[in-house]
Amino acid sequence: MEYLALGFVDVLNPATMFWVAAGVTIGYVLGAIPGLGKATGVAVAIPLTFYLSPVAALGMLIGIAKGSAAGSAVSAILLNTPGEPSSAPTALDGYPLARQGKAQKALKMGLFASVIGDFVSTLILIVLAAPLARYALLIGPVELTAILLFSLTFIGGLSGGSMLKGLIAAAFGIFFATIGIEGETFIPRLTFGLLELDDGISLVPMAIGMLAVAEMMIQAGNLKKLDTETEALAQSSKPEDRSVTRAEWRRCAPVIARGTLIGSLIGILPGLGASVGSFLSYGMTRRLSRTPEKFGTGMIEGVAAAESADNAVVPSSLVPLFALGIPGSVIAAILIAAFILHGLTPGPLMFQQQPRLVADVYAAMLFASLVMLIIGYTCQGLFAKIILVPMRLIIPGVLLLCCVGAYMETSSIFSIYVMLFFTAFGYLARKLDFSFVTFLIGFVIGPKLEFSFRQSIQLLDHNTVNLLHHPIAIVFLVLTAATLWWIGWWKRPQTHCAPGERGSTPETDIARNSKGGS
Amino acid sequence: MRRANVISGAVLTVFSLVMLFVIIPWQIDPAPKGMISTRLVPNLMMIAIAAMSVVLIVTNLKSANGATDPSPLTLADLRVVLRIGGLFAAVIALYLLIGPLPAGFALVFGGLLLLGERRPVMLAGMPVLLLTALWLLFYKVLGTAIV
Repeated sequence: MEYLALGFVDVLNPATMFWVAAGVTIGYVLGAIPGLGKATGVAVAIPLTFYLSPVAALGMLIGIAKGSAAGSAVSAILLNTPGEPSSAPTALDGYPLARQGKAQKALKMGLFASVIGDFVSTLILIVLAAPLARYALLIGPVELTAILLFSLTFIGGLSGGSMLKGLIAAAFGIFFATIGIEGETFIPRLTFGLLELDDGISLVPMAIGMLAVAEMMIQAGNLKKLDTETEALAQSSKPEDRSVTRAEWRRCAPVIARGTLIGSLIGILPGLGASVGSFLSYGMTRRLSRTPEKFGTGMIEGVAAAESADNAVVPSSLVPLFALGIPGSVIAAILIAAFILHGLTPGPLMFQQQPRLVADVYAAMLFASLVMLIIGYTCQGLFAKIILVPMRLIIPGVLLLCCVGAYMETSSIFSIYVMLFFTAFGYLARKLDFSFVTFLIGFVIGPKLEFSFRQSIQLLDHNTVNLLHHPIAIVFLVLTAATLWWIGWWKRPQTHCAPGERGSTPETDIARNSKGGS
Repeated sequence: MRRANVISGAVLTVFSLVMLFVIIPWQIDPAPKGMISTRLVPNLMMIAIAAMSVVLIVTNLKSANGATDPSPLTLADLRVVLRIGGLFAAVIALYLLIGPLPAGFALVFGGLLLLGERRPVMLAGMPVLLLTALWLLFYKVLGTAIV
């Protein structure tokens, strides 16, 4: 608590407040533009923070992540095109509201639900991460290997439509993490004599290529569809009802509370992600409603349910990162690079070694929630206009920023080559449904997994029977096997399945929704 | 997607076997005596990828039911890839031959042109605006050079 007060002292100075506000604004705009999500925004912005103070830099990046989670509702409501997949359920009721002339009402409820979900989830992170980290310090290399293996299997199994492809992507991520000089023997691995690869592949150009440039290429193929939706909005945008009434607040308050709880729980579990949270919250609200048949026709509760859960996932997904050093989502994986760059190594030890900086991060997160409310409320009309800018004008600017961001990592053209290599990789992964999320998380935890695996082999004296002396590891290995079986069964190909049913994933639900299904 | 899965599974199987038997032994020296092999994790990952790719092929071949199976990569997609790939090739050539400024200008100008923008004011104004904004951000606000 004492450190948190000091954290607020560090954050509440004009320079830091400016960069946090800038981050939230940039994030809001990026989130509102279809295809430019929080991961893209943070990946591109990391190099821009090289020359900021650690608090300002981390505050800005967290601001981008939070702002874009809230901003993605704007295009979902106004264009029926979610800025991020996790806002797809927002579009189900938000877009009909906009068509009824109640766009402002839907946008405001989306913002309030986002801010409440985000703020409460940040408090959950603050309360849970440090106590969990204390337990994590008791974990040895054998147990850590089993936990990492379990997390990766869980993430690989749940990301995307196919478990098998998710696991292949995870294996590729770990494989690419082995490139560079090996830490124990100092033997170069798969460097092909290139000095630039001795330190391994840098996460920043890789993430920029896989997330941002690959996404821009996908969007470049969808230009006509996006432009048509933008034109349709320009003709039908006539808001009549501009505020949330007291009665609507009474109906939505329990929905927001439930969405926040669901989002926070989903965020803590590695790999499930914001899409699962928002779909689950939306589905549960519809199921518990007295008028479930009205959902999809413009129910304000639908917007509140989806947005509160969507935004609650972002802060709570940092719980496994802070407590165990395991990134539970792609945004957490990318933030690792930023944290390390600015002197904070995520994991249980950071609470002992850098308590002040951790408190600064917490204070910045809480402050960003407040900024999100202010900026979102005052600039909503402006953001609604920004999404009317055609994608053909946005894509070249984003490509330029991507190149600058990748280049700045090493001040070498080699980073651009790395970015382009992983652009091709990411593009194919998206088109062929190999989860790039799992790939990136596999890449980030790869070095830790390899290190603890090698330590485990030595500790177990090359004898698997010695594993019996590590019951926690056995529990996680059994859980890994059970997860493989359960997800394999759950994702068996089904001929017909409704949203939320066995065999359907948020991705398949989104695809179905985008084709007009319910 | 089934056909694409079979093809990608086959490509991944071949790739992992080539890595396993050619590239890894060629590119990773054996570890000194008494130490755990430096090839251990790369080999394990390639074995896992090969095995899972074979399963991917088999499961997709088994579930084939003759229904229409559209390719996830369309001709329009390939056109976009070629265009943007060509643009990046030209931009890199400009960077290496002349310098970063014309390369940045060409990236924005070429991108706009390829995506269908034809208004001269936009084509000339956007690159100038973006490059000026970057200069202001890095050289004036952040106080650092990009190159």
